Amino acid sequence: MRGLLLSLGAVVLAFIAAPLLIVVPMSFSSAASLEFPPPGWTTAYYGAFFGDARWTQPTINSILIALAVAVLTMAMVTPATFALVRHRFAGKSAVNLLLMLPLAVPHIVIAIGYYAYLSDLRLLQTFPGVILAHTALSVPMAFLVLSASLKGFDRSLERAAMSLGASPAATFRHVTLPVLWPGFAAAALFAFIQSFDETVVALFVSGRDSMTLPRKMFDSIRTTADPVIAVVSTLLFFTVAALVILPMLWRSFSRSRS
Amino acid sequence: MSAPYLELRGLGKSYDGRTRALDNVSLTAAKGEFITFLGPSGSGKTTTLMLVAGFESASEGDILIEGRSIGRVPPHKRGIGVVFQNYALFPHRAAAENVAFPLLMRKMPKAQAMAKAAEMLGLVGLERFGGRYPREMSGGQQQRVALARALVFDPALLLLDEPLGALDKNLREQMQIEIKAVQRRLGVTTIFVTHDQSEAMAMSDRIVVFDGGRIQQVGAPLDIYRYPSSSFVARFVGDSNILAARLTDPAGGQAEIAGIGTVRVPALPAARAGDAIELLLRPECLKPGSGLDNAARLTVDVIVHFGDSALVTGHAGGTPLRARLEGLAAQGISAGDTLPLSWATSSSHVIGRDAAG
Ligand SMILES: Nc1ncnc2c1ncn2[C@@H]1O[C@H](COP(=O)(O)OP(=O)(O)O)[C@@H](O)[C@H]1O
Ligand SMILES: [Mg+2]
Repeated sequence: MRGLLLSLGAVVLAFIAAPLLIVVPMSFSSAASLEFPPPGWTTAYYGAFFGDARWTQPTINSILIALAVAVLTMAMVTPATFALVRHRFAGKSAVNLLLMLPLAVPHIVIAIGYYAYLSDLRLLQTFPGVILAHTALSVPMAFLVLSASLKGFDRSLERAAMSLGASPAATFRHVTLPVLWPGFAAAALFAFIQSFDETVVALFVSGRDSMTLPRKMFDSIRTTADPVIAVVSTLLFFTVAALVILPMLWRSFSRSRS
Repeated sequence: MSAPYLELRGLGKSYDGRTRALDNVSLTAAKGEFITFLGPSGSGKTTTLMLVAGFESASEGDILIEGRSIGRVPPHKRGIGVVFQNYALFPHRAAAENVAFPLLMRKMPKAQAMAKAAEMLGLVGLERFGGRYPREMSGGQQQRVALARALVFDPALLLLDEPLGALDKNLREQMQIEIKAVQRRLGVTTIFVTHDQSEAMAMSDRIVVFDGGRIQQVGAPLDIYRYPSSSFVARFVGDSNILAARLTDPAGGQAEIAGIGTVRVPALPAARAGDAIELLLRPECLKPGSGLDNAARLTVDVIVHFGDSALVTGHAGGTPLRARLEGLAAQGISAGDTLPLSWATSSSHVIGRDAAG
């Protein structure tokens, strides 16, 4: 029994964790192309990444696009979530379904749809085009996260605030938002990360001026197996991991403190 | 009497357009009065409070304070303090900041608001707890913060919805006394909701008994206890014997009870001989011996001793009867005994008839 569990664990490590982590040593490899194990060690490719606008520009693009996606997603999802969680209205389940739709449609289908749609709008290969497409993909997760936290919210807090003289706007600002902020932050973070590491749709709708980092990596690995890709992968990996793990650490820290 | 301070005028509410949660609720309250809404779960107590606070809008009727309608005033402009059953303290603010919140919303300078909040926390015995967050306080302490927060802005009205329901018995009794003391001191007109009749008896100037979305009776605690207007009220408020009787001489005050025989009842000049009535006899009005106006012989089925008193249940010629006897007087009684009991006519009440008799 014990032996079985151990070998199962080894398989998981070999096929799930190892491919994730193999990029880290490869990024310090002195080889001229991607290979494992590395023949020698160097940090030269980190220098190459930070010194080359063909890499830094897509990185900046990706960050800007992901920020815009997070903002736009929250601007749309916040009122939608409040309406769907707190009110009853005709067509509610249809709206619910519509919000969740991007989760059910394969990315490649969405990509082709946006390709045709954005080209009609003359938004293909532009920032707004990529932002719109990524926002559509981010909506379902942000909605799920935010509605889960809103459902757990005690409405008597808002009633208390109003009875104490807070207008509806002041109630939202002083009570609803501060109490729900972990939910808002998590939803925005999901939207950001979703856009930041999205590849398929970006391949179709981003262009030379709106090139995102994953798309640049894809283009690069098709032409040359440049070890800079391992550098980018490592940086991406640690950035996203930090974005996901730090809030968890912070929460358990602030809980143990109180 | 001058115009009432608070008036509920024919309030009705339907949440779904078909069933009525509240029907024709009318009530007046004088300034400084402590009124308790008492009734079983689902009887419309909370709904009435929600209408007064403005969180729900009435389907019919109006609410007036000092003669002015507040039916269309939004909740944040009503100036009504509300204490919720779950306290509803803001978890991200310390106790003092919770209490200062209504003052800050009224644009009071921060330093002044914090000073007044500290003063209010002192009034509820929490002067040293201002820096604590709600999650760091016990249920009773949180309840006091909620009370201070609802009172700090001199509300026109204080509403409390089953505020003590989550506390254990000892703490609940202590909080009853404290709430009552603070309310007296500040003279704020108060509506207190509970489903606990002893709590209602202990705290109120007047009790409003609710059932099925309607007011069943309004009156001072002892009046409601002694002269309930329906068998529902009689059963809900206190322990009771409700005996079916038939009037033999209404003006002379005589009736016939199966298994007990002819008894004297409060005179009912307007009734007719042969009318069926319900006679309320509180268990503590039945005394051992045969010294009082009316006698019955109780065959004991069960006796439960509480120390200071004992509850005897049994029957008198087939009519079930409960008697609450003093602890010492009940010593030595056991199941199967037959006890002579008697009661004073003036301690009985004919349900649904005027208390005048
Ligand atoms: N928000 C609501 N939506 C629909 N029905 C409600 C709502 N609140 C209360 N009710 C109904 O109204 C009636 C009175 O409820 P409530 O005022 O909460 O009673 P109480 O506070 O006396 O227990 C009940 O039948 C209850 O089911
Ligand atoms: Mg209730």
